Amino acid sequence: MSTGIPASEAPQGLRLYGAVGSLAGAVIALQIAVMRVFAVGSWSHFGSLVVSLAMLGFGMASVFIFVLRGWLDRHGEGASRAALVLFGPLAVGANLVAQLVPFNAIFLISDPMQKWRLLANFLLYLLPFLSGAFFLGIVFRQGRAHFNRLYFADLLGSGLAGLAILGALYILPPEKLLVAPLVLWAVALILWSGVARPGRVFAALLGSGATLAAYLILPAALGVPAIAVSSYKGVSYARNFPDAKRLYRDISPFGDLQIYSSSYMHFAPGLSDNAAFNVPELPANTYVGMFIDGEGPSGIMRPLPPEDAAYYQYLPMYYPYVIKTKAKVFVAQFGGGLSAMTALNAGATSVTIAESNPEVLRAFRAPELKEATGNILADPRVTVVGYDGRLFLTHTDQRYDVIDLSLADSVGLSNPGGFAITEKYAYTQQALEAYINGLAPGGVLSVTLWNKEEPPKSVLRFYATMVRAAKAMGGDWAGSLFVSESYLSTTTVLYKKGGFTADEIAALRGHTADLSFDEVYSPGFAYDPASAKGILQQYQDAIFGNAPTDGPATGATDAPGDAAAQGDGPAPGDGASADGGADAPGDGAGDGAGDGTGVVPSTTLARLVWQGLVQGGAADVTPHYVFDVQPLTDDRPYFAGYIRPADLTRTLDRLDTVQDDWGYLLLWATLGIACLAAAVLILPPMVLGGRMGRGKPALIVYFGCLGLGYITVEVGLISWFARALTNPTIAASVVLSGMLVFSGLGAWVAERIRSTGLILPALLGATALALALMTAVLPGLLEAIGALPYLARLVYCLALVAPVGFLMGFPMATAMNALAECGRDQMFVWAWGINGSFSVVGAAAVPLIAVSFGLSAVLEVAAASYALALPAYLSMLRRA
Amino acid sequence: MNRRSFMAGTAIAAVAAAHGNLVRAAAPTPFDWTAMPPMDDRGAFIDWMVKMRGEDPTFLGQRYDLFLNTVQHRDLYDDLDKRAFLMTPREEFVLKRNLDRAYASDFLDIGYGVTISGPRLVARMTSVLQVKKGDRVLEIGTGSGFQSAYLCHLTDQVYSIEIVQPLFERTGGIFADLIARGYTEFSAVQRKNDDGYYGWPENGPFDKIIVTCGIDHVPPPLLEQLKPDGIMVIPIGPPGAQHVLKVVKTQGADGKITVARSDIYHGSVVPFVPFTKLQDGKIVGTHFN
Repeated sequence: MSTGIPASEAPQGLRLYGAVGSLAGAVIALQIAVMRVFAVGSWSHFGSLVVSLAMLGFGMASVFIFVLRGWLDRHGEGASRAALVLFGPLAVGANLVAQLVPFNAIFLISDPMQKWRLLANFLLYLLPFLSGAFFLGIVFRQGRAHFNRLYFADLLGSGLAGLAILGALYILPPEKLLVAPLVLWAVALILWSGVARPGRVFAALLGSGATLAAYLILPAALGVPAIAVSSYKGVSYARNFPDAKRLYRDISPFGDLQIYSSSYMHFAPGLSDNAAFNVPELPANTYVGMFIDGEGPSGIMRPLPPEDAAYYQYLPMYYPYVIKTKAKVFVAQFGGGLSAMTALNAGATSVTIAESNPEVLRAFRAPELKEATGNILADPRVTVVGYDGRLFLTHTDQRYDVIDLSLADSVGLSNPGGFAITEKYAYTQQALEAYINGLAPGGVLSVTLWNKEEPPKSVLRFYATMVRAAKAMGGDWAGSLFVSESYLSTTTVLYKKGGFTADEIAALRGHTADLSFDEVYSPGFAYDPASAKGILQQYQDAIFGNAPTDGPATGATDAPGDAAAQGDGPAPGDGASADGGADAPGDGAGDGAGDGTGVVPSTTLARLVWQGLVQGGAADVTPHYVFDVQPLTDDRPYFAGYIRPADLTRTLDRLDTVQDDWGYLLLWATLGIACLAAAVLILPPMVLGGRMGRGKPALIVYFGCLGLGYITVEVGLISWFARALTNPTIAASVVLSGMLVFSGLGAWVAERIRSTGLILPALLGATALALALMTAVLPGLLEAIGALPYLARLVYCLALVAPVGFLMGFPMATAMNALAECGRDQMFVWAWGINGSFSVVGAAAVPLIAVSFGLSAVLEVAAASYALALPAYLSMLRRA
Repeated sequence: MNRRSFMAGTAIAAVAAAHGNLVRAAAPTPFDWTAMPPMDDRGAFIDWMVKMRGEDPTFLGQRYDLFLNTVQHRDLYDDLDKRAFLMTPREEFVLKRNLDRAYASDFLDIGYGVTISGPRLVARMTSVLQVKKGDRVLEIGTGSGFQSAYLCHLTDQVYSIEIVQPLFERTGGIFADLIARGYTEFSAVQRKNDDGYYGWPENGPFDKIIVTCGIDHVPPPLLEQLKPDGIMVIPIGPPGAQHVLKVVKTQGADGKITVARSDIYHGSVVPFVPFTKLQDGKIVGTHFN
């Protein structure tokens, strides 16, 4: 189809820029749509893996274009048209086939087939990105004389598409979200076909219409699910219940919220086992389940009749009301409403609830759910704050007797596929300080977390955070804390402003005993650290142990008969004495590791940790624990990355012991693959293009730094802004759109500066400086805008992005122009590919840097990248 | 042949085919509560089992190797538990596509978001329960049926509840087939398709309860239906990363009931042990390399 088309038919001017912008937008929209498909069908971090690797398509396309440059000189137009035409059908086809080969994260280690399925998913979704990259790469190469205009169109299109998809998320459910990229692709196709050629426009319309129809109709027609939802997602279990009924669905950028009713649903998060003998059986059908993106359920409970109200006393969130009656209560995150219900039943005089997800509040106000929710928000004692609780407390003069943050999200509640790495700004040291500052004199902060990990991780990280926040408050902080755990259930930490009285401690202890929970810390709690002797080493062995080599199991090399006999030796029935007992469980071995009082090891460990944290200094055992349990701060707000980097390679043969951290490990895998791929993609032109001039190392450094720097700022700022915007999807759209549009403007203006002068080096220096400055000013600024109306916060965030976005538009455009001007055309596409490949490396590296070193470090890496690009640019110029 | 028995026969054959096990010629001799299979010789075990139960020698060899590993890792220590482990044909309870991994240490998918637990976990949980003949055992979450089948070699009173109806029916077909083939001990399982949260009060109280489904609290009805000094075990967390909670209910002299949560390793931290790989009964490395 490429031959015989005169060069003059290639679109020019606005039509060209429009087509480039639309397709660039379609690529961004497809990225977000595919991420949503994974978030709903399986687990979002696998979506990140697939999509970020699919972006390697840009690197690959550039290598192909580089290799085929001679052929493309003759057939470029046809090739670009073919690539453009194929984008839509490939997106639809890949998505459809991917639903036929869903992979199951929980069997990733044990079932060899799952790795191939994951690979198949990646290869399938790579196809449309590859065709999009081909199209853009060829067009950029053909139009290299006007690179900065094309680049402007590309960035502007991508940026606006980011906003468009944000809007689309309100109207298109995840199973129809690919409509957004397909429409953008259709626009590109029509523009490219030529408005003056009705026949072609008609064909383009017909083709894109058919593709869209295929997307919407084929799944049902072929009996393939539009999104194959893993049978291990929470919502799949609910759907299996015979009487399950979906009562409600709401879609928005805040997620796909669905509420199911079923008599098979039973919630009582953290309920004491003693409830069984003290509380009458609850009436059936007391709950409905709320799922967001198929995750959950969060239980929504209808109000209980007064005779059943004793039930609340057996929930961990009841703790503060043991010592606080007639309280003015603030619930920092409303969720399914159980904390608020507990407070109301405990005689609170007023309950202010904060919920940053408007979808949840809408559901609680929906007429069809009035019965299920008991219309709790309409209770005259309840006041609703429609945004983040922490931000509200920072900006209000109100003070509360009880501030509750209970099981607000599923921190530590195990998830079969591991957790995606997300910022938990509600649990940082600064957040806890904000809560404490919101307390009236004598007020109590109560935080309840899931305690379902063994070995414990997130709870220890939280303990360290709580102690740090309490210390920062000064006074008798050690006398202000009370901690109680229930094994493999929940943990509750109380902080009382001004410290607990002896009577209060006695009451809390009595309550703990009534619940059969374990006291972990309280002022004056008698605990002898010597009783925890060896427990840190035992937890080390629990992950990195290798019992056959240090145990008595010499059977490892013996004949089977002997092995059995040897195995019998240390068997627990024999008293566990043969090998020292630590790893010899058994009926007789009751005191193998604990302190001999029937306490489980994780409770012993928790007591040891509290003792150490309170005493501080050398007594602090957390540095010696097998996992990294450093406190959460606003700069490092993660319940993730527990494996110390030095231990990473040791986990490879025992991945199933660290399943909770798979989201984090997957990032290392992504980074590894991305680095490898980047190296492979950079190599061929190095080897093949021997004649293309000197200065290649400088070129690699320059464009590599730009790729790395740009994506680092982009992804890093999304995490930063999630704090003020309280939702990662919206933060992502705003940052992406803002940066791309302003960078587009920068690229546009870049046409006016000379590539050989010192302006660009100066701009590079200014960019590095601006980024370094941001780490200093952003925390305060984000705090300050936190309580403004949402729209105002969006505008402020855009304003914060604008200057760096604008500055960052120059370096790429100017340098590419320079390459085109000095006749190094063959380098042109290669440079574009390097930039793309390093973007993928950066995208994977950012969360790792953030988890390990903090969000400031992310911006510092970006600043360093731009600083390093400066000498590289000068060197490139010299050698050109 | 009347229509009903023809249909039943077809259904059984279909289930058997789906599980990759065609009805074999050699019918198992009924389970004998006094007989013990040889435990210290692989060949003798296989011979004994072929003779007594007519099972496939390849699977028997794999089962014996897995048995050695499980004993070595101290998930099995009581002789009766060991017998139960050796007598339960795991290959009958996995999906056909997983037959070659029936005796791997992994948990396996059985559809409906449900897994058949890894053999070590099953062995460990059952060891902790200390089931004696005559104990009433309630299982919440029949799933594949493997755990119920295992229990049938320890007691003659097994009650099992499954919430997912198609799974309940499929497992019923497997049991019907096995019983028809001579595994009469499996007749001890009484099953129902229901919400296990409320237990099975008509048949309670129970000496032991084993719960195999995720929940955010221990269902109070189950604690009520547990006899004093009874033991309950519940895996917490997703498959593959499960920690097992042991709940012991005791009644003091004053009649006061207390419930204690503990771990199933008796206060020990569980050391990671790479699962050793056996080939023809010889250890040839770990599970991973």
